[in-house]
Amino acid sequence: MAKKDVTKPISLDPRGGRPRDKCETHIEGIDRILNGGLPIGNIVLLAGTVGSGKTTLAMEFLINGAKAGETCCYISVTEPSSKMLSNLQTYGFFDESLVKEGKLNIFDLTVINDRLGVERLDGTYTSKDMEALLGAFEDIVDELGVTRLVIDSITAVCYQLPDRGSIRNFIFRLSQFLSTFGCTTLLISETVVDSNTQTYSIFGVEEAVADGVILMGNIIRQGDLLRSLQVVKMRGTKHSRARHLIELTPVGLAVVPLLKWGQDGGQAFT
Amino acid sequence: MSIKDIAQSIIKSINDGDTLTTISLGAETFHEDSVKIASVLLNKKLGGIYVTTSRPSSHIINELEEAKADLSDLYFVDLVSMTVGGTTGDPRTLYVESPTMLESILLNISLLERRLKAKRRFVMFDSVNGLSIYSEPKVLREFINVLGNSMRIREIYSMLLTVKEQTDEDLGSALKLLSDKVIGD
Repeated sequence: MAKKDVTKPISLDPRGGRPRDKCETHIEGIDRILNGGLPIGNIVLLAGTVGSGKTTLAMEFLINGAKAGETCCYISVTEPSSKMLSNLQTYGFFDESLVKEGKLNIFDLTVINDRLGVERLDGTYTSKDMEALLGAFEDIVDELGVTRLVIDSITAVCYQLPDRGSIRNFIFRLSQFLSTFGCTTLLISETVVDSNTQTYSIFGVEEAVADGVILMGNIIRQGDLLRSLQVVKMRGTKHSRARHLIELTPVGLAVVPLLKWGQDGGQAFT
Repeated sequence: MSIKDIAQSIIKSINDGDTLTTISLGAETFHEDSVKIASVLLNKKLGGIYVTTSRPSSHIINELEEAKADLSDLYFVDLVSMTVGGTTGDPRTLYVESPTMLESILLNISLLERRLKAKRRFVMFDSVNGLSIYSEPKVLREFINVLGNSMRIREIYSMLLTVKEQTDEDLGSALKLLSDKVIGD
């Protein structure tokens, strides 16, 4: 009987295999949670309730990428880019020269829509509009060489699509070409809490198509609001599934494990 | 145990390579003694982070200045000033908004750690009992466990100060289990 080779070390990573290349967020604690960062080319739903820190996290993700020499792009759907830029000035980690050098690009979806002629009075895109919009996104990513993209918010885009099938199709197509370009993307999803349960999206479709879901929320602890973050799903990497506290510090966002607080006694989602 | 003996035991504990120590002080002279311990370590050229849960950091700074301690490599995490509407402008202090935000203590310690210049460092947690006003015992035990192990990983000499008269058997045994040494018991 052949002896079993006991000299070969056993991999402690339950997934085994070869890890995918990562896009490091350089946000304190998040790369550790993600085992090195977001897999390059992943399209990730950054879902959260109002005031949970989604836009701040997305902006720091882009700014850190731009500081590392990458070309990054933020597409604002709900706010004018001028307002977004003035909000950015309040963050210590923001560097205005990144915008001037073209490393951080901020676009208004309304301006893109106007140029494409897809802004409709009834607020609903036709399939032709959808194609035009996808084409515009593709052009931006391709021409600028964008490696990090944020769409804030995908929920606002989805509201303009006629049905769930169109939403699925839109995100799937978006995901396909972004992945081809190796562009790591955060799609911001506005969520609500219903009966103490937080959803990942308004339409219930986005999370199924996305490669990853990062859930952000507010926790009430004895009357105080704390921001939380949890990675629910991330294709292409092992990751922590524990809930973490996220806080804005003088050096940017930072994440630490959330205390269990006696199995959630005295704290609730909002 | 006199404060001189306690200070000597702390120095010995540092030299022995301990990383986590519980220091039990009497209520009557607690504040004076905690300032004396910090002064001794600072004057031995250790850099430190002082976590205060029982009184504003501005008071501790004043007392350390009066004691002529070298404050050039000392930083504070202050859980009191914002809660009571005190001054929050000191550049060497990070203020935590509410004493229920226990995780912020860990986060702020790790931020301040990067500013420490000295090779030999300490974290002084004044005091464990200060947190018990806002947190249930089971929560406090969880936090102490996380804090203690987090400090151990960082290899910073950490002192958990307790008020002898306010520390019940449960909390005392949890601290004993976690610490390398209990001084002033």
